[in-house]
Amino acid sequence: MSTASAVVVGESRWANRMWGALAWVLGLVFFFPVFWMVLNSFKEEQDANTAPKLFFHPTLDRYKDVTKSAGGLLSFGEAFTNSIVIVLVSVLIVLLLAIPAAYALAIRPVAKWRDVLFFFISTKFLPVVASILPVWILARNFNLLNTRLALIILYTGINLPLAVWMLRSFFQEIPKELIEAAEIDGASLRGQLTSIILPMAAPGIAATALLCLIFAWNEFFYAVQLNPVHGSTVPIWVTTNISTRGDFLAKLSAASVLACIPVVLAGWIAQKRMIRGLAMGAIK
Amino acid sequence: MTTADATTRTVRPGISRRPLSDAWRRRLPLLPALVFTILLTQVPFVMSVYYSLTDWKIVPPSPREFVGLDNYLHHLFNDHFFTDAVWVSVRLTVFPVIGAIVLGTAFAMLLDRNFFGQGLVRTLLITPFLMMPVVVGLIWKNQMFHGLYGVLNWVIEKLGANPVEFVSRYPTVAIGIVLVWQWTPFMMLIMLAGLQSQPADVLEAAKVDGAKPFAIFRQLTLSHLRPYIELGILLGTIYLIQVYDQIAVMTGGGPGSTNVPYFVFQKSIGGGWEFGQASSYSIVVVVASIVIATIALRVLSGLLKGEEIA
Amino acid sequence: MTAVRYDDATRTYEGTDVAAVDRLNLDIGDGELLVLVGPSGSGKSTALRMLAGLEPLDGGSIHIGDRDVSNVRPRDRDIAMVFQNYALYPQLSVAENMGFALKQQKVPKEDRVKRVREAARILDLEPYLDRKPKHLSGGQRQRVAMGRAIVRRPAVYLMDEPLSNLDAKLRVQTRTEVVELQNRLGVTTVYVTHDQVEAMTMGDRVAVLRNGVLQQCDAPGTLYHEPVNLFVAGFIGSPAMNLVDAGEQRPLTLGDVELEPSGGLALPDGVITIGFRPEALTVGDGPLRAQIRTVEDLGSEVFVHVAIEHRGDSVPLVSKMSPPFDGAPGDNVGLKIVGTTHFFDGDGARIGSTPAALR
Repeated sequence: MSTASAVVVGESRWANRMWGALAWVLGLVFFFPVFWMVLNSFKEEQDANTAPKLFFHPTLDRYKDVTKSAGGLLSFGEAFTNSIVIVLVSVLIVLLLAIPAAYALAIRPVAKWRDVLFFFISTKFLPVVASILPVWILARNFNLLNTRLALIILYTGINLPLAVWMLRSFFQEIPKELIEAAEIDGASLRGQLTSIILPMAAPGIAATALLCLIFAWNEFFYAVQLNPVHGSTVPIWVTTNISTRGDFLAKLSAASVLACIPVVLAGWIAQKRMIRGLAMGAIK
Repeated sequence: MTTADATTRTVRPGISRRPLSDAWRRRLPLLPALVFTILLTQVPFVMSVYYSLTDWKIVPPSPREFVGLDNYLHHLFNDHFFTDAVWVSVRLTVFPVIGAIVLGTAFAMLLDRNFFGQGLVRTLLITPFLMMPVVVGLIWKNQMFHGLYGVLNWVIEKLGANPVEFVSRYPTVAIGIVLVWQWTPFMMLIMLAGLQSQPADVLEAAKVDGAKPFAIFRQLTLSHLRPYIELGILLGTIYLIQVYDQIAVMTGGGPGSTNVPYFVFQKSIGGGWEFGQASSYSIVVVVASIVIATIALRVLSGLLKGEEIA
Repeated sequence: MTAVRYDDATRTYEGTDVAAVDRLNLDIGDGELLVLVGPSGSGKSTALRMLAGLEPLDGGSIHIGDRDVSNVRPRDRDIAMVFQNYALYPQLSVAENMGFALKQQKVPKEDRVKRVREAARILDLEPYLDRKPKHLSGGQRQRVAMGRAIVRRPAVYLMDEPLSNLDAKLRVQTRTEVVELQNRLGVTTVYVTHDQVEAMTMGDRVAVLRNGVLQQCDAPGTLYHEPVNLFVAGFIGSPAMNLVDAGEQRPLTLGDVELEPSGGLALPDGVITIGFRPEALTVGDGPLRAQIRTVEDLGSEVFVHVAIEHRGDSVPLVSKMSPPFDGAPGDNVGLKIVGTTHFFDGDGARIGSTPAALR
């Protein structure tokens, strides 16, 4: 921890306030596009599609517009259901696979753990877009196009390297003596995991799960290539709110707010954990 | 008294089974994740290699014939669209990474003090990273950069200048700005972790030793932040090389905004339908990524080595 | 001339009611080595950090020389500090660590190198000048931390438990080196420790703190022989002074033997606590009956732990005897007080002390 008390001896109150004010100004400016998007979501289209207006008659109609189902098109309900299922299941699977793997790399390391770790990280260097063709062909051959399963599998694959890397460093934080004591007491791998490792690494696991959730929820490319008809996710749904005829900015803003709320709220609430997670998981 | 070798397991009543050798016990938990990843990443890769050695086209339909290295030798480097895409990739990776790190560090330093509402400011600052890339692309294009109603142009007009069609006239810059906006929070969090991991007493010692705040930053903090900056560069590069979403929704390709992933997409299932050639481009990208990866791995191993000494 | 003065200095942390340092008043002389000692939470580190400028003052003032430095930044106070965990600059070499402060003062390079060399010579650090802290042992790092301070010639040295991370043997050895160094350099030093042995052996004067309040500030000998209250009496000296609650009854009894202060010392009404050091108690054939619990033979001296029946309870006492000692656990023995006996009133203040009073 670097900052101690709010009062620094010898620093004038004025200087302290100035830095604080600067932080506020920059924060607000940086946040502005989000703020404006939320504002626009409550406007009539004619209010949104003109020179920027701060004052207007707010309405919830845009939200109604984007959430009502229009026959044949992807509906808000369908997209959200798909996304929720796909994301939760894939994050669950990621944890189920990554936790034992992280154990094998941190607590009782295999012989070439560094190489294995490098391998995992290196898979992220292969651009997703480069593999789309084989993936698409395989998906078609296995009848997985337009299914949730396809995306579940792919999202698991995308997040696994990150999860393994982060969980490994969290597990490393656990004092070796605790594990050794458990070994002596006869605990099996599962016993050690449940009684010692998971409880102690719980914040780290939460941070890892949150990051995987963010990436899976926001993923667009695989979703739009593989699931354009069924099993479509929220990112796809957002893009259906653009239209070539007529104004759409307010509707788009409303759709965007709905699409982003789950992850943004989760991120806001779990901020501190996520910071700790990125800090420890990434650095070590 | 049996001298059982590693493969036989004799079970005798009252005596527990001879366990799997220690090495295998250690490997076992790793296998599911490892096997999954290998299947999911290596199989498509091998398929891509195979396709890249053919002249597979969908339009006009023709039988797929094996042509060896034809794609690589004759088409690849003559295709100036490809080299253009490479340049765009470079510009859309290097500058946003640098921009996000510089801005992220600045924000982290501002946030690293105690002031009223510090948590709230931090909440505001991390939000762009949490938002959906397609949303970010669409919002910036239609709300901020818009030629007529865009917020930026409103400010520009108030300052007396003429409005600018950002996305159509300066696609690279526009996308670059969006990427910086979205990735600065990520870098900020990494730098914040770095700043907060500095031992407080070292900073106090520097104060007692007479160092002014800027001198402390330059002489102590920066070198402490080095591994964090390297990590930011590593992770930022990995993710930014693959940017697709923002390009798709903001410009749909086009000169100045087509990076290599988008180009490969265009060449294959995005309308070009030239699977053979597109695959060869993919493989080139993979090779290039491996080269970059090797360099980055040196950075990584430096980071990992540091953890053993400390 | 007073080099450092705490004038009713007070510090209360935000969100707490009790002051961490409560109206501390200390006058430290020029060239003096003053030790701040006390258990954890006593406020000794806080008091030091207030002098350093790392903690603000909530009341009172602090003076260095004739300057009021209460609101002055650390870097403008002309002080040097040795931190408990050394706080060495990790990316700089030993030489750069020691020269850091001089560099901030823009001392020309030649001068800097010369002074760093000189300090390195005094501290035996010359072979390590180019090494980074992570390649040094604990003892070496401690010396670099000292070197960083002595390279400068500030008005005051501040030392925050600089020896507590060394192993026991190294600590004892380094202790004497620090005292010699301080004598040689002649710079006023404020030294914080929780170890009362360290305090007693090092300080010109020792200030005992408890819960933020100064109990007593005197030369070690005075602290030992004339403790101002129960806390100081029990804190200073190892093994601790034997303290026995004698209740309100008069005449005072210890076990079943009468104990009378000699020399006309008048005892007030109320609860009295009797105190006598282990070396004041002998085990042999005295009037106070006791049973030996354990015997600790350290070679040069023997500590005999006994128990007496006092006011219905079994009360443990410690006696320091010279070898040879041939008692064993379980033996019934007689105790005699041959040294000074201290008497403390119901508030813990010392009433007075008299020579042997056990009859």
